[in-house]
Amino acid sequence: MIILDAILQGILMGLLFALVALGLTIIFGVMDIVNFAHGEFLMIGMFTSYWTSLLLHVDPLVTLPASAIVGMLLGLASYYWLVRYLLRGPMIAQLFGTFGLMLFLRYLAQFLFGTDYRIVQKGLVVGKSLSLGPFIFDLTKLSAAVLSLLAFLFVYYLLHRTKLGKALRATALNKEAAAYMGIRTDRMNALAWAIGGGTVGIAGGLLVNFWYVYPTVGLLFVMIAFASVALGGFGSIQGAFFAGILIGMIEMLFPMFGHLIGSDFLGPHFKFTIVYFAYFLIVVLRPQGLFGWKR
Amino acid sequence: METLRDAFDFRDFSRIERIVFLLFSVFLLVFPWLGTGSFVKAVMIQFLLFSLFGMGWNTIGGYGGQVELGKAQYVGIGAYTVALMMVWWRIPFWVSMPIGILIAVGYSFIIGYPLFRLKGHYFAIATICTSLVLQDIFINWKLVGAAKGIELPIHEHPDFLYMQFKSDTHYFYFIMVLFFAGLFYMNWFRKSKLGYQLRMIKDDEEAAESLGIDARWCKIKAYSIASAFVAVGGGFLAVYNLYIDPYSVMDLDLSIKIALMAMLGGPASMWGPIIGAAFLVPLDRFLGSWLGGQRGLIGLDFMIYSALIMVVSAYQPRGIWGILEQFRRKGA
Repeated sequence: MIILDAILQGILMGLLFALVALGLTIIFGVMDIVNFAHGEFLMIGMFTSYWTSLLLHVDPLVTLPASAIVGMLLGLASYYWLVRYLLRGPMIAQLFGTFGLMLFLRYLAQFLFGTDYRIVQKGLVVGKSLSLGPFIFDLTKLSAAVLSLLAFLFVYYLLHRTKLGKALRATALNKEAAAYMGIRTDRMNALAWAIGGGTVGIAGGLLVNFWYVYPTVGLLFVMIAFASVALGGFGSIQGAFFAGILIGMIEMLFPMFGHLIGSDFLGPHFKFTIVYFAYFLIVVLRPQGLFGWKR
Repeated sequence: METLRDAFDFRDFSRIERIVFLLFSVFLLVFPWLGTGSFVKAVMIQFLLFSLFGMGWNTIGGYGGQVELGKAQYVGIGAYTVALMMVWWRIPFWVSMPIGILIAVGYSFIIGYPLFRLKGHYFAIATICTSLVLQDIFINWKLVGAAKGIELPIHEHPDFLYMQFKSDTHYFYFIMVLFFAGLFYMNWFRKSKLGYQLRMIKDDEEAAESLGIDARWCKIKAYSIASAFVAVGGGFLAVYNLYIDPYSVMDLDLSIKIALMAMLGGPASMWGPIIGAAFLVPLDRFLGSWLGGQRGLIGLDFMIYSALIMVVSAYQPRGIWGILEQFRRKGA
C-alpha cells in the first residue's frame, strides 16, 4: 500500500516534471539548442505567480495566465535578442550563450528579490488535502498535476491538430524543406521559444503553491527536465510526457526503497542524485531515449 | 630530450607574442616586491590558479572541442585527497598530491570510458551530471566531513613539506611554479601527436577515424590530462584555503567558470586560458568587492559578468584571442 501511495504521489509530481520538460524538448526538437536557462524560466514563472498573488490579493491559481504570458515574453525576448545570434556560432557558443542567460536571470532575480526562501502562505488549495480511500493527496499537488495534464494536452493538440503545429513539426523535421514549402522557419523558432517559455511559466505558477521559491531553484528542475528529455528522447513530446512521469515515480520510490531495506545511504538525500545518475545511464545506454528520433 | 626541447621552444610564435610573454614572466617574478596590498596579491593567486585550470580544460575542451562542464569534480578530488591525507595520516603535500593526481586520472578513465560514447549536448549535460553526483555524495558522506567540509591542521609557518605558509608571497611563488610547469607542458602538448590528433578530431571526427585515429581513446587521454591539471589546482586550493567543503571545491559554478575562462579567452590557443583568466578573475573579484559589498546590490556583479558571456558567445565565439587575431590580420 505504501508503495502504491508512493507511485501515485510520483505520478502527480511527474505530470509537473513532464510539463517542465515539454518546453525543453520542443525547443531542442525545432532548433537543436539545449536551453540551460529553462530552469530559470521556471523560477521567473514562480516569482511572477508569487508576486501577483501577493500584491493583487488573488489566489495563486488565478495568476497562471500572468505566469504563462511572462514566460512567453521571456521566451520570445531570449530568442530575438540572444538565441538568433547564437545560431550562427558553433555548438559551444550556443551552450555558453544559454548558460549566460541562465546566470543572468538567476542573479537578476537575486538582485530584485534577494536570496530569501519564500512560499505562498494562503490560497484556495494551499495546505489542504483530499483523502480518497486510504490515500491522502495534497490538494496543491493534485491541482498542479491536473492542470499540468491539461496544459500538456493543449500543447499536444496545438502541435498535432492545427496547421500552425504542423508547420512547427515540419520545421523540426527538416528546416530547409520546410522553408521551401513557404514556412517561415524564423517565426517557427520564435514560436517554439514562446511555447517553451509559456508552458514552463505555467509549471512555475503551479509549483509555487507547494515549493519554496528562491533564485537558484531552477538548477534542480532543469536537471530533472534534462533527465526526462533524455529518457524520452530529445525532441519527442510523447517521450517527455512518459519520461516525466517515470522520473517522478523514481524520485518518490527511491527513498522508499532505501527505507524498506533499512539503508541510510539510499536515503532521501539522494533522491535527486539518482535523477542525475539516471540521466548518465540513459544517455550512455540508450542515447535515442524511449521515443527519440534525433541523435 | 626532444620533449624538453619542444616544451621550451616558442619559436613558432610571432615576435610580439614572445616579447609579451617574456615581459609577463618578468612581471610575475617581481610582482611580490611591487608593494601591492594583500587583496591584489590574492587576486593574482586566483588568476594563476584559474589559468592553470583553464589550461587543463583547454586540452579536452579547446583542442579536443568537447564541451566539458564537469571539471569541478576533479578539483574536488585533488583537494580532498590532499586534505584528508593530511588530516588522517599527516602525509605531506608532496606525497598526497601525486596520489591525488593518480586518483583523479584513474577516476577520469572510469568516467571517461562511458562518457565519450556521447557527443555534443548529450556529452555536455552528462559531464554536469557526473559532477553533481559526486558533489551530492560528498555532501552526504559523513566520513569526509559531509556538508561541513574539513579544516586542515595548521602547521608552524612556513612549512615546505606541508606547503603551508603565513604570507601570500610564498603561495604566490608556489602557484607561479605550477603555472609555468603547466604552460611548458601545454607548449609541448600542442605540438605532440595527441595534440594534432585532437585537432583533427575536432575538425572532422569521421575523417580522423578513417585515418586510423581512435577518436574515443584520444579524447579519454586528453580528458585524463585535463583532470590531472585540475587536480593539481585542487590540491593547491586545499593548502591555500586550509578549509574545503563540497560547495567551494565541487560546485557547478566552478566547473562553469573554468570552462568559461578558457572559452572567453579563446579555446584551442596557447594564451587563451591565460587571457580569459586575466580578464575574468579581476573582473569577478573587483566587481564582487565593489558592488557585492554594498547592501541591496547582491547579484549585480554576476549580472554584468553573465551579460558579457552572452555578448561574447553571440558575437565572437572564438573569444578575446579571436578578436585580437582579427585586429592583427587587419593591420598586417
